[in-house]
Amino acid sequence: MAKIIIDSQEVECRDGVTALQAAIEAGWDIPHYCYHPGLSVVASCRLCLMEMKMPHPQTKEMGWAPKLLPSCQTPVRDGMEIRFHTDKVKKNQEDCMEFFLLNHPLDCPVCDQAGECYLQDYSYKFGKAESRMVDQKIKNPKKDIGPHTLLYQDRCVLCTRCVRFAQEVSGTHELCIVNRGSRAEIDVFPGIPLDNPLQGNVVDICPVGCLLDKDFLFQRRVWELKRGESICPGCARGCAISIDHADEKVYRLKPRYNPEVNDWWMCDEGRFGFAYVHDNKRITSPLVRRGKEPSTPNWQDLPAVVRYRFEQFVGEQGGEKVVAVLSPFMANEEAWLLARFIRDVAPQASLAIGPVPFEGEDQNFPAGASGDDIKFTILKEKAPNRRGIESLLESLGGSVLTFEQFVEKTNAGDVKAAWVVGGYPKPWIDKDTAKIANKFDLLVTQDIFEYKFTDAADIVLQACAWTEREGSFTNADGLTQPFHWAIAPPDGVRRDGQYLFEMAGETGLYRAAQVREMMTDSVPTLSQLHEAQARPVHAH
Amino acid sequence: MASFESVLLRNRGVEGSTTLKVYESRGGYQAVRKALKQTPEEIVEEVKKANLRGRGGAGFPAGVKWGFLPKDRKKTLLCVNGDESEPPTFCNRVLMEHDPHQMIEGTIIAAYAVQAQTVYIYLRGEFHEQFHIMQKAVDQAYAAGYLGEKIFGSDFSVHMYLHRGAGAYVCGEETGLIESLEGKRGWPRIKPPFPAIEGAFRLPTVVNNVETLSCVPHIIERGAEWFTGIGPSHSSGPKLFCISGPVNRPGCYEGAMDITVRDLIEREDMGAGMVDGKQVKAVFPGGCSMGILTADELDMKLDFDDPRNFGLLGLGTAAAVVIPHDMDMRIVLRNMARFYGTESCGQCTQCREGTAWMHKIATRIAADAGRLEDLDILLETARNMGMMPGLSICGLPDGATFPIETIVKKFRSELETSISAQPSGRVEDLLKVLN
Repeated sequence: MAKIIIDSQEVECRDGVTALQAAIEAGWDIPHYCYHPGLSVVASCRLCLMEMKMPHPQTKEMGWAPKLLPSCQTPVRDGMEIRFHTDKVKKNQEDCMEFFLLNHPLDCPVCDQAGECYLQDYSYKFGKAESRMVDQKIKNPKKDIGPHTLLYQDRCVLCTRCVRFAQEVSGTHELCIVNRGSRAEIDVFPGIPLDNPLQGNVVDICPVGCLLDKDFLFQRRVWELKRGESICPGCARGCAISIDHADEKVYRLKPRYNPEVNDWWMCDEGRFGFAYVHDNKRITSPLVRRGKEPSTPNWQDLPAVVRYRFEQFVGEQGGEKVVAVLSPFMANEEAWLLARFIRDVAPQASLAIGPVPFEGEDQNFPAGASGDDIKFTILKEKAPNRRGIESLLESLGGSVLTFEQFVEKTNAGDVKAAWVVGGYPKPWIDKDTAKIANKFDLLVTQDIFEYKFTDAADIVLQACAWTEREGSFTNADGLTQPFHWAIAPPDGVRRDGQYLFEMAGETGLYRAAQVREMMTDSVPTLSQLHEAQARPVHAH
Repeated sequence: MASFESVLLRNRGVEGSTTLKVYESRGGYQAVRKALKQTPEEIVEEVKKANLRGRGGAGFPAGVKWGFLPKDRKKTLLCVNGDESEPPTFCNRVLMEHDPHQMIEGTIIAAYAVQAQTVYIYLRGEFHEQFHIMQKAVDQAYAAGYLGEKIFGSDFSVHMYLHRGAGAYVCGEETGLIESLEGKRGWPRIKPPFPAIEGAFRLPTVVNNVETLSCVPHIIERGAEWFTGIGPSHSSGPKLFCISGPVNRPGCYEGAMDITVRDLIEREDMGAGMVDGKQVKAVFPGGCSMGILTADELDMKLDFDDPRNFGLLGLGTAAAVVIPHDMDMRIVLRNMARFYGTESCGQCTQCREGTAWMHKIATRIAADAGRLEDLDILLETARNMGMMPGLSICGLPDGATFPIETIVKKFRSELETSISAQPSGRVEDLLKVLN
């Protein structure tokens, strides 16, 4: 803990931080572009300059140094005295903002960044109202630099964050600076586009509207978006993300800072993998088949109908032949409610975990890094909650099956009633599994899309995408992290948690926190949430 | 004054001066033999005593620079800065063209003094011919056993490599040079760490100018006292001066640092006066970056300190360019602004944007469409850039602002007269076209 003095106020700061970090953490609003906590320091934007007390070269007497110093590059020392609220510092900020805007096209009305743009914010807070430049501006055409990214060079402030990201985090080195001086531009090498699994992050770290996401281009003004906190379900890593949405539609996903998991980053697979949420092939109403005629029950009756069908089956054939297949896409709370329902109607019922999808190999970044040098990992295990479901099964005990055992037992006629949960974003039932679809006397499916199982099911329940649900996922490192719903499910669809809550015999609204409390006795490991270390976030 | 005996340029004009044979026959490679019998510390001490100030522009004492190296270092690099890109400057070029072995000898002594076993000679991209002359000289030195393993039969080994840049002014800045040498974009580094602690390839590195190193053999051979005996005490030793523009004998001359700008222009063994019909209007005395002098200020001494008394940045490279009386200062202003506008590396905001803006304004003024307030904008922009107020990583913007600032300040009335004499409506017409 060092103690320093900023603008005559004593401030305590963490060891090893820079003056800029210390000042921001203590509540100072210091403009900066090139500094990003996840990247190396280049001190080139010259916006965060400060005054500092130093010993005079001859007399050794402490006094304010005549030079301004970059606060992003100056480490704090105990007793250091610095100041930002001076005319000199403010004059530099003003001049800098004038320089940044000399060649800027001022096209905010058609720029996607408007509203979350640090040229706008800093101009407003630190800049001058008018530019004195009357000469012609440098005009640069926009460039298509990769499958997901557009580069509007006109708006660039040359902070080089994107270039450093491609060097230091993704390690793929696609971006570079070409030309000199005011003609310097960000570019890619001819024929080598910006195409790596982390490329979306360059759009996030771009403080201005230079790098834009093609997916989100001209979709929505950012001030109309609402932000929901969530966890990415793309792999077992469990990156903290936010869901930016408006009018019950997801527009984009952005990473949220979590030093234990993903720092400031997320992968493109997760970022752009939400299209299925708005797929019009989703199942939008429950279905009950009895005899040949399917019927659509109303939601109030459904818990009783399902319970009656299971009780009827258990009465006829016994509870040993009942299985609930929990999906690794379910939240811990939902899985616990379903397990509780099944064990309630059939105490001898088995629990199984659905297939866990794997793709390729784990990918570490920077490309080729190992050990402590790894800054980001995309896991090959493409489901968010295998750990959670497994520890749930372990804690609950009783008969537990693997998915293969479940298929085998069904083939052998030892399983006759099943509740199978899907919720996978991609088709998940392979040929062999599809063959058992007709071997049940009672089959309940809970899925987003229609597959072989839903065709054969006696009761079809629709599952919601994670953007519409609430609960917690336990990631590959065993951290249980909460996620919240951002949007409402499609018309006619009820949240999984809600009907499972009712089937488990509860009344009222499903709230994950309440269910977690109920779980404390039976599954203590999952009822404890991982609290991200309270470390300040000074990235923008 | 006339008693000055040529030191650095003594081999210029001698036939075959670039060959090892001729250089040795004129007493070359004796200093290095003498140096290798002393300890490295003794050599550093001797150079410190001689107060050999860096000839590249900043005038920092070379011996002190060598003393910054950490004592417990394992490996040291020596870089020779031959990226001579300052406008009107060609001292290093002359040294390399006419006497490459003098520089190689000085470099070997410096390498021994700092215990560097690897030397990189960084030449600017445009030095094609000089590169070949240097390469031949290095090859000869290797063949003679003066470079390589256990040179001159001592225990000291040193290897020398030539490297050509791609032609950028900023690569003459020592950390820009280091980045470029590493194969990267020549963007100056933030300091600390200083190159002496962590330079090229993350090793302690010393960067010295060609002319500075060329002085070293003579200091070793004749002693620090001889060196300090030449010229004023704070600016001692022989120095090369360049002069160009409409003088009778443009070229590179050697002298002590007690001469004035007027001497450089007028003396028969130097510039030999202005060509017929031309008078001096202004002079850039130390390379363009240092700023401009008016015809009334020609008595400025060309040493390391006097230029500051005339509002200049420093001695710089001591390369003067004379502006004749019939030259429009608006053209000079535009020319200066253009150079720095194209040579700013683009890293720091103020320099990247400011130099380009000044170029646009100066171009417009030269095109008869200036406004009086443009002069104030130029002055303010010039004050908003540079390392001295702490606004940039390297010193390039300081060099970019001094010529602009001094031209506007010292020739303001002329510029104002020119602007007032513009055809009316010209500014409005041009601005309409531009926007």
